[in-house]
Amino acid sequence: MQRRDFITRSLALGGSALFGARALQAQQGTPADTTGNLFDMNQGAARTVTRPPKPGARPSMDADTRDALEHKIRCQCGCTLDVYTCRTTDFSCEVSPAMHRDVMALVEGGYSAQEILDAFVDTYGERALMAPKKEGFNWAGYLVPFGALAAGAAAVLVVLRGMQRGSTPTEVPVDGVPVPPIGTADEMTKLNDAIRNDD
Amino acid sequence: MILVGELALWVALLMAAWAATTSFAGGALGREDLVASGRRGLYATTAMMVLASIGLWTALLTHDFSLKYVASNTSANMPKVYVFAAFWGGQAGSMLFWALILSVYSAIAIRFVPVKARDLVPWACGTLAVILVFFIATVCFKANPYDRLSFVPADGRGMNPQLQNPGMAIHPPNLYLGYVATSIPFAFAIAALVTRRLDAEWLGIVRRWSLLSWFFLTIGITLGMWWAYVELGWSGYWAWDPVENASLLPWLTGTAFLHSIMIQEKRGMLRKWNVVLVVTTFLLAIFGTFITRSGIIESVHSFAQSPVGSWFATFFLTATATTIYFVATRLRDLEARAELESMVSREAAFLYNNVVLVGIAFSVLWGTLFPILSEWVRGSKITVGPPFFNTVNIPLGLLLLGLTGVGPLIAWRKASTSNLKRQFAVPTATGLIVGVVLFALGMRDGYALVAYTLAGFVAATIVQEFQKGISARRNIHGESIPVAVVRLIGRNRRRYGGYIVHAGIVVLFAAFAGLAFKKDHDVQMKAGEAKELVDPLGHRWRFVSQGVSTSETLNRFVTAVGLEVFRDGVPQGILTSEKRQYFDSNKQPQFQPSTEVGIRPSAKMDLYVVLAGVRDETAELRISFNPLVVWVWIGGMIMAIGGLIVMWPQAERRRAPSGYVATLEPKRELAATT
Repeated sequence: MQRRDFITRSLALGGSALFGARALQAQQGTPADTTGNLFDMNQGAARTVTRPPKPGARPSMDADTRDALEHKIRCQCGCTLDVYTCRTTDFSCEVSPAMHRDVMALVEGGYSAQEILDAFVDTYGERALMAPKKEGFNWAGYLVPFGALAAGAAAVLVVLRGMQRGSTPTEVPVDGVPVPPIGTADEMTKLNDAIRNDD
Repeated sequence: MILVGELALWVALLMAAWAATTSFAGGALGREDLVASGRRGLYATTAMMVLASIGLWTALLTHDFSLKYVASNTSANMPKVYVFAAFWGGQAGSMLFWALILSVYSAIAIRFVPVKARDLVPWACGTLAVILVFFIATVCFKANPYDRLSFVPADGRGMNPQLQNPGMAIHPPNLYLGYVATSIPFAFAIAALVTRRLDAEWLGIVRRWSLLSWFFLTIGITLGMWWAYVELGWSGYWAWDPVENASLLPWLTGTAFLHSIMIQEKRGMLRKWNVVLVVTTFLLAIFGTFITRSGIIESVHSFAQSPVGSWFATFFLTATATTIYFVATRLRDLEARAELESMVSREAAFLYNNVVLVGIAFSVLWGTLFPILSEWVRGSKITVGPPFFNTVNIPLGLLLLGLTGVGPLIAWRKASTSNLKRQFAVPTATGLIVGVVLFALGMRDGYALVAYTLAGFVAATIVQEFQKGISARRNIHGESIPVAVVRLIGRNRRRYGGYIVHAGIVVLFAAFAGLAFKKDHDVQMKAGEAKELVDPLGHRWRFVSQGVSTSETLNRFVTAVGLEVFRDGVPQGILTSEKRQYFDSNKQPQFQPSTEVGIRPSAKMDLYVVLAGVRDETAELRISFNPLVVWVWIGGMIMAIGGLIVMWPQAERRRAPSGYVATLEPKRELAATT
């Protein structure tokens, strides 16, 4: 096929494909808009997390401890941030302020940090936490990377030891004549040092 | 031009298919004419992709809102620079951009293949053309920026204001340049596997392109962190979001490869491992794209309900299966040509470094995928956020930092005890002194103490290596220190460029450790009201509110608060933070309000002020003291500069002959050597 023919046919084929695809698309209707690349905020994601105040309740923690606790609770609007960070970053989110109010009420009700986390997990499920609880299957999440690293390191050591054994130099006498030393011990030491220090 | 661009896109698809078919056929049949045709098909694909891209840029810049992509990502009142950047701001455009870069890279890689590696061309060209077919087909059939609306709106929706930032205009192209560059080493690895020519030729090509990929990924990741810090307003730069993780994965395996390739070059070892790292780096780039564009993982960057996910999954699985087949059937050709002499040698240290780098990559991948795994196993969704990643990765990162210093100190082949003592004495002492001094000064955060101790150790190793090299040059050539530094680096760019990269790593880790001392404060302030806060270094800061103001500019309403700032009683100027509501040409609000952070950067600590909102003329603010953040950007820049030095081509030097020259009589040379 001549180059000119090839280019002409390619252009014709490309044109056909273009108009064919357009026709197909017209039949299917306009697809959903998928062009954005930042998350859509779910403003209706907040649910109420309440517990009756404990008898004679006093605030269970100060503001700094409460803020630290909010760093462990995930805002459910879709931002992937924790409640403290989301509510202090963007007031257009209605979810994190609602979750913050629930935390405040539980703190006022005398609940401990763990009890507050448990209350949020009861309502939202475990995805209310910024990190999975260290229990059950979740341990796999925490331990597998270290296990894999240990296994990798062990495998490398085994391979290296094997290579090292395979590389032990052997001096084979030829026709019963011992292999003469290449240099004196002192010369060999100097030579080895020079090689090692090169680069 | 827009119609030409659209047509060119479809022609590019055909050209790429042609290039793939003829290249593979030419390689298999040994027909040079088909190979040449495939090569020309690849160049033609590149030309068509350039035309297709010009078409989209034309549509964007002329505000052709009949195109859905243009209407969805731009508006008439957007600054031109962001209209231009909208090319890669959305799903379809970014896919086209990816294909454009890939076609240009492919053409360059194939055009400048060294003569010795010509045998690899048909297979490398074919592989690159197959990748191009996949990307162009994805653009044509699943994410076409030339899709038209059934009506022409008067104006477009505009770009998300958080993307209207210089960092966002240049950060994605750098990441794409990095991601896409992994395709070239992959293609040449496949070519080398197919032809069983797994010698030095393919390695040279692969190393250059891997360095290029690493360089752009480093810049892209650093710019991404900077963008997140200055634009998103949550006072951090890394959130372990799946998209961030996706960029880190190929960077980690690419870094591992750039270390292990040295062992293959110098000793002929790790040949299998290097092939695995090259293909893994490419597959991770594809896999990262799949997980972030398929919507299977929740991310702040998610392309919700994206239709390209299944295509990426299919391509990833096919590429993985093909790679496994070729590696498995070529294991004998990949046998090492030398053996390890000692567990305490530089090659062994590089291998340990590889294990840790790949271990970190695995832990990041594991954490990113664990929510899906957990849902499969337990049926309940969980979140794997920064606390998880920090728990797992901080110890691994510190191990890596330590190895960064150890590697260069150990001799090749086998380190003697005297060598170890001589090399380690000063760096170890320096690290310990740093740790003890910081402890005496009151630092009690365990991880931070270890990080600074190791940073001191690694910094001392780098200084020691430079000092030795500079002293040698001064003794031999009598050069001044600046001249000796420049010539030392210039004459051995790979080695000293690498040390500069290590210096950047030290700076980065020191900056990361600063986060342990970060302090946030929520404050509410009316006009004229003052607040006093104490930073982590004990300085007293006083903030006086200048009140809330509102204004209207080009395409946004702005609500701003000004704070007069004093540190230890000394005026530091006025710091402003804004809340912006963008609007379209009809003054209709677009997107959610965004935050414009007020930052007062300094070497020791950033003052970071976020206007979270205004209630009853009271500004609700978060004031953060973020130690050492500036050093994250500086560390990234140092790494990029080091990478550039390593990448820069080094002219072959003619070595002056040393020793003596023996002149033999004609015809006697042969006899002398036999």
